[in-house]
Amino acid sequence: MKPTTDTGGEVPVRHHDVDRQYEGESIENGPRGAAAIAGLLARFQPSAPRPVDGAVEAGGRADGTPAWGLEQLARAIVSKAAALLDVKEIDTETDLFDAGATSVDAVRLVAVLDRELNVRLSLDDVFADARPRRLAQRWLGSPAQRPPSEASTATTALELPAAPATSAPAASTPTTSAPAASAPTSTTAAATTTASPGTDLTPAGPVAPDGTLPALDDHAEDLSLVMADLAAADRLPWCGDPEPVPPRRVLLTGATGFLGGHMLLDLLRHSDAHVVCLVRGDDVQDAERRLAEALAGFSLPWSAEIRRRVTLLPGDLRRPRLGLADEQWELLANDIDSVVSVAAAVDFLRGYPSLRRTNVLGVLSLAELAMTGRPKPLHHISSIAVFNEIGIASMGEDDPVAHVDRLTAGYDKSKWAAEAALRRARDRGLKATFLRPGGIVGHTRTGAYNPHDINTGLFSAISRYRVAPKIDYSNSAPVDWVSRIATAVINEPSAWGQNYHLTGRPDTLTEMVRDQELGGLNVRVMPWDVWLKDFLERCETDPVPELEFMARVLRNPAGQKIVEASVSAPMATGERTEAFVARHKLPPPARYDAQARLKSYERMARDGLVVLPSRDDPPHLWFRETMRGKVGPVDAEPSTRCSLALTLSIASMYQLVQHRTIDVRGTVSCPSLHAEPLTVDDGEIWVRPHEGVPHRHSLDHPLLRYRLALRDSDGNGWWLEGWKTARARFDYMKQARTLTVRVGREGEPASLAGTLKVPKKSYKREQIDGIRVNPKLSMREQRIAKLAWLTWFGSQLGQGLLEPTLRAGAEMLDLRPDAIDLDKDRYQAKLKKWEKDRKQLR
Amino acid sequence: MTPRPLFAPLDRVTVEQIPFRASDGTELGLCRLTANSPTAQEPTDRPAVLLLHGLTASADMFVLPETRNLVDALLGAGYEPWLLDWRGSCRLPHNEGRVRYTFDDVALYDIPDAVSYIRDRIGGRQLFVVAHCLGALSLSLSMTGGLVPGLAGVVAQGVFMTPKYSARSRLLGHLGGEWGRSRWTHLPVDFTKVGFRSRYTPMFALASLSAGDCDDPTCHILHNSAWGTGASLYVHENLHETTHGRLAELFGSAPTWIGPHLRRMELAHTAMPWNTGGQGYDRLPENALDSADRIDCPVLLLSGSDNKTFHDSNELCYDVLSSRCPDLDVRYVEVPGYGHVDPFIGRGAALDVFGHILDFLDERSAAPSREGVPADRVSEGSRSSR
Repeated sequence: MKPTTDTGGEVPVRHHDVDRQYEGESIENGPRGAAAIAGLLARFQPSAPRPVDGAVEAGGRADGTPAWGLEQLARAIVSKAAALLDVKEIDTETDLFDAGATSVDAVRLVAVLDRELNVRLSLDDVFADARPRRLAQRWLGSPAQRPPSEASTATTALELPAAPATSAPAASTPTTSAPAASAPTSTTAAATTTASPGTDLTPAGPVAPDGTLPALDDHAEDLSLVMADLAAADRLPWCGDPEPVPPRRVLLTGATGFLGGHMLLDLLRHSDAHVVCLVRGDDVQDAERRLAEALAGFSLPWSAEIRRRVTLLPGDLRRPRLGLADEQWELLANDIDSVVSVAAAVDFLRGYPSLRRTNVLGVLSLAELAMTGRPKPLHHISSIAVFNEIGIASMGEDDPVAHVDRLTAGYDKSKWAAEAALRRARDRGLKATFLRPGGIVGHTRTGAYNPHDINTGLFSAISRYRVAPKIDYSNSAPVDWVSRIATAVINEPSAWGQNYHLTGRPDTLTEMVRDQELGGLNVRVMPWDVWLKDFLERCETDPVPELEFMARVLRNPAGQKIVEASVSAPMATGERTEAFVARHKLPPPARYDAQARLKSYERMARDGLVVLPSRDDPPHLWFRETMRGKVGPVDAEPSTRCSLALTLSIASMYQLVQHRTIDVRGTVSCPSLHAEPLTVDDGEIWVRPHEGVPHRHSLDHPLLRYRLALRDSDGNGWWLEGWKTARARFDYMKQARTLTVRVGREGEPASLAGTLKVPKKSYKREQIDGIRVNPKLSMREQRIAKLAWLTWFGSQLGQGLLEPTLRAGAEMLDLRPDAIDLDKDRYQAKLKKWEKDRKQLR
Repeated sequence: MTPRPLFAPLDRVTVEQIPFRASDGTELGLCRLTANSPTAQEPTDRPAVLLLHGLTASADMFVLPETRNLVDALLGAGYEPWLLDWRGSCRLPHNEGRVRYTFDDVALYDIPDAVSYIRDRIGGRQLFVVAHCLGALSLSLSMTGGLVPGLAGVVAQGVFMTPKYSARSRLLGHLGGEWGRSRWTHLPVDFTKVGFRSRYTPMFALASLSAGDCDDPTCHILHNSAWGTGASLYVHENLHETTHGRLAELFGSAPTWIGPHLRRMELAHTAMPWNTGGQGYDRLPENALDSADRIDCPVLLLSGSDNKTFHDSNELCYDVLSSRCPDLDVRYVEVPGYGHVDPFIGRGAALDVFGHILDFLDERSAAPSREGVPADRVSEGSRSSR
């Protein structure tokens, strides 16, 4: 049976409950990244509820849908998924995400299962654990499926995962089909399965609908999976110490990721090493294309000069032995002298079972590689998520990590498990370095950011609603710093085998709020729980598609815990990192300051995640400007009185500093144009256009440029362009007040020209005392805004006015003699004295 | 008087040193480089690329043996690099001499003479120019004066037509420089030659204030002070250890008497000649920006994002040129994390910067108007372009 609808056979039925094609299309057409996908999921959530309606169920049964057995249903899901993903080697234990499924595929699968098998799973189910058997179990155990009498007596049968068998980094045969082979033969009673991890036990064949797993047991199952994965570390080989020399050939995973891409470039820049990048792909060309695209996405370079120092190795971290053939594996083990493990699935919605293959088993494969052949150090990018227990006391580099049973999110558990497994590998001789970044925020120069990072979501939320949760410390560092320090550790043999915290200098809330204030993006601060409530309410009443990712995470209890743990976390300390940085004269951890944050903001704004203030928003600061003067036909004496009554405003200081523009509104009264005043449709003042570069070769520098689009009461359009010019004369006040204008009809050349002036008396009254600031701000904030504006504009105007005078003054200085002239004079004087002395001697 | 030998990686390249004298009689340095590797047996149709260094630097800045340098990258990509030591080079004695020159002389004699010499040698092949700092600024004067017509493309790094200092550099460079101009003929950088007690000690002492971790006075005067102008030539972190150790070989004394010309241009944010008419100088434009429409080739403006010498001069130049001469093919690329001179001498320059230059050269040399470009280089270019 083939799912014809989605693969392009029949016309899909546009019934919202049944057909999910719309969701898939939306995801495919929408913006990239988890934000977009999770956002869409959130949007579809209300319309795709779990079927609890008995009538629907009854209808389903009436259609003659078979009462599924577990194994039967699992296999049916496998066949649907295999057709959908167009891959052969899936079995009931394969995580569909590991088999290459994307979130779009997940949406489609849910639709196919619903339509063709009448199995209604939610997308959450798929994200939590995308193994077909588990999906089958979820369906069979869902309230809709469970007869009420049996629900209460449901046994807590645990399906013990096939973890050791599938992962088997130490296993000799690189096949993925181990669980498939063993699963059907296993008929041991479910009750015994919690025992002895490592044995491949699955519930007996057709399990009754009571083989259900309530939420609590997800956690218990996760723990037993963790234990099973850890056991695999005991099958790693023993090894000795690596040779303590800087690496020459490095294997890097995750080069297509945010941190990995930056680390690839830093490895190349700061060492002479050749880097072997393990990248998913059909062949080298495909892998190279993926890598180049990923790097370009983070504004990182990719050129022939980089290509010559990189070898692309198509492979898959999630598969045993990285999906490499035996000889490739052997070759690699002997070829490289350092392993850098950066790749990880970072997804706060997926559960441990769905993440472990990448985040735990993949790392174990790398450990095996490091311990095979000549011993190599393994540098593992972990995360301070291993401390993500609410209420943890301290987060030092060598402090004990969290209790795994108190970690809620699958991601945290997977990072914890990888570290725990590598600690066991350390006992077997592996030189394993743990590099633990906290939040990784945008690049301080390019602004490239990680759309999957919680910080991105928080920034986005703060910028939209202008309220921030009270954060104790934001344990986050810019990606360029994290990458630089991590690569320095990799290149320094004496630093290997230790734990490092790459959390930088934690940001405090006060500093963040001050930065925002200076930029005119003032925020209110609320306690965490108040903020959370407020945020979720706003998401309901004033939904923003770009924020649905954050809303999704925060509606999910596990996601909520992650964010709460990160905002309430103590300051992460990193004495060893600090000492290392000082010893090697590396850039010290610096604050992620306003300017760096702005770079990311700009980029996020381009991607729609953040909204920067624009002229359509209520102004941050405004004041009036009046101008009077005369205009007349071009090349004739100005004769007609003309006046401007303008309101000048800025949406934020950011607009000034970045674009140097002021928005203009108001009216223009000029009988030569129209009997009635014309309104300013659109207007802008450019402060010191082109940094005051003169128009023509002269000492006249442009100071301000006014450009207004006008409309008269008959609906005709006009344009007005005016220049204030600085000259090398001492009448600075006059220069600052005088505007030379040219006016013309829309699309036509100038018909009128003249000069307007700001009346002397109105200057202080309107433009200094008359400054008004957004009344929503506190008095203090208003004063700061006013002073910031006056300081900035005053300095620009002063500089612009002085420049011509400075140039004229410099021309005078040019006439002074220099050292060569003076030396000549001195030489002449010496000669004269010598002549005189000689005469006297005679 | 020949320039001192290049510190080139002689295992990788062969240097053909050409005795070269500008038409006003000034001794200059010109050389042509070829790769040693047998695989790089050059076809005769390689486009030539003339490299111009900055003031007080020399052709050495393009052939650093300790890193993958621009000459390596050009040879690898199928170009023929030519290095000109114009009169501001530290391989020549003019900066410490008693014969003063200005950028007018560079624009009027050095660059056009070198270009016409190379043209004679390469025949009908394309000629590009990659210029740094004041080499690029002088080139802008030559170009707007119509003295070097028909170039295939120009890459200007750091600054081109609109020099721009920070307020601090204006104060120290323009005003403090005036004070220094009447005391010293030049400001040296090599502390080992100057000695601990000398007439330059105050400059070195000033430069070492707030110097951070580095304890090399030569580095201080370049990185912290840029010969007293308060600018910074490079991002310290970007230099190779060896490069850092031999800064005194790469940079030389800065003549103080050239300050007024620089000041005149900087205060106007415009490249303009010092001499007004006479002695052939009237061939230079009165103001380069006003004559920008005489530029007849595509221009790539490059700058490090952390350029603390000429700051965002090139971005400004891009804005001005694209609004005043919309027909001109001008592009701007900002290299994140780089300063003023490290886009050429930084240890990662090949990775972060040269790709942009080679992409531009590849694109221009593959342009349909030209013929005889090797097919392999074209494909290379299109692959590496983004």
